[in-house]
Amino acid sequence: MSTPARRRLMRDFKRLQEDPPTGVSGAPTDNNIMIWNAVIFGPHDTPFEDGTFKLTIEFTEEYPNKPPTVRFVSKVFHPNVYADGGICLDILQNRWSPTYDVSAILTSIQSLLSDPNPNSPANSTAAQLYKENRREYEKRVKACVEQSFID
Amino acid sequence: MESFTQNDGNRDELIIQQKRDIEKEISDTTPLVSDQLPLTCLYAEYSGDEVFTAKIQDLSKKYKFIRRTRPDGNCFFRAFAYSYLEYLISNSSAYQEFKKLAEESKEKLVQLGFPSFTLEDFHETFMEVIQRVSPDNLGGHSTVQEELHKIFNEQGYSDYVVVYLRLITSGKLQEEADFYQNFIEGDLTIEAFRHLEVEPMYKESDHIHIIALCTALGAGVRVEYLDRGEGGTVKAHDFPEGSEPRIYLIYRPGHYDILYPN
Repeated sequence: MSTPARRRLMRDFKRLQEDPPTGVSGAPTDNNIMIWNAVIFGPHDTPFEDGTFKLTIEFTEEYPNKPPTVRFVSKVFHPNVYADGGICLDILQNRWSPTYDVSAILTSIQSLLSDPNPNSPANSTAAQLYKENRREYEKRVKACVEQSFID
Repeated sequence: MESFTQNDGNRDELIIQQKRDIEKEISDTTPLVSDQLPLTCLYAEYSGDEVFTAKIQDLSKKYKFIRRTRPDGNCFFRAFAYSYLEYLISNSSAYQEFKKLAEESKEKLVQLGFPSFTLEDFHETFMEVIQRVSPDNLGGHSTVQEELHKIFNEQGYSDYVVVYLRLITSGKLQEEADFYQNFIEGDLTIEAFRHLEVEPMYKESDHIHIIALCTALGAGVRVEYLDRGEGGTVKAHDFPEGSEPRIYLIYRPGHYDILYPN
């Protein structure tokens, strides 16, 4: 059955294919348009460079009126990523706007990798190292970049 | 440390789940927009309450009917849209004027910086709704009125109309940011306010939302305030001030419904 959420997700997918933003990709899973797999490539000139980070995006019938649930499947060491892969990002919570699409979500997460917000930490170790010991932070990030090749 | 943050994440999810359960209970029991009900049905809600009983009595001198909207944080926008379209159905020239304004609104929002790709989706649906309630449609007034009621109780359409009105409101705030900044308490910028309080669905409306939307669409609204304030009479406020009201709403703390004047 075609619902506004499904219709909109088809549009999102079409746009993502026709006009793909640099460094991100995503597609619905084979049998369910409400669950997507996505990949974000670590942005250049950041410790995440060369990483390929996998995510899942789960939509409800209330999309785009409500944001989807986005989670990293790959292990990501980052101040705003929870241990279970959940992401603390305002546009996925209280600043969600129905004008955001999958493309906008993925590019926002990509810029979160470059610019963490250590003041609202989901991983306090990462936040602390980011603020106080940048070398150690980068070392831990690089370890998860290498892990991302294997996953 | 990491196990602690993990718990934090789970707690967020529990809160979200609880919120969803409450929302589901409301949506299972209350239609998005109800049938027209006699205003006197309000007495039952405040039986034994002298202040409210006196005020409902006062209100019933001016209004005969009420139409309830679901209390989901979108009630102002939904009530506004329903009531205004109801007015437009029986006013062909005002309808045509509004249709033109709605048609042109998309380009205006794109110029203000809204993403054209997603905006289009909402705008198309909004225009489809307007077209489906044209006063010139076959079947005459009562058929169009039924169509309006049907559309507004279909979640997909109904919510897309709300979204589009939120975007128009947000656009107006941005366009006249210097003016609207005066209405915002604390040190939130207009930009932050739009993203936190206007564009997300289910966020309740305040005077600033009402003024911006009425001004953007050139539609007058009269709001009757039924609250615990002194005086025994219901106070009305017109937005924008001095305009002729086309839309009549009743406000009870936290909620808007539609009113029908005698």
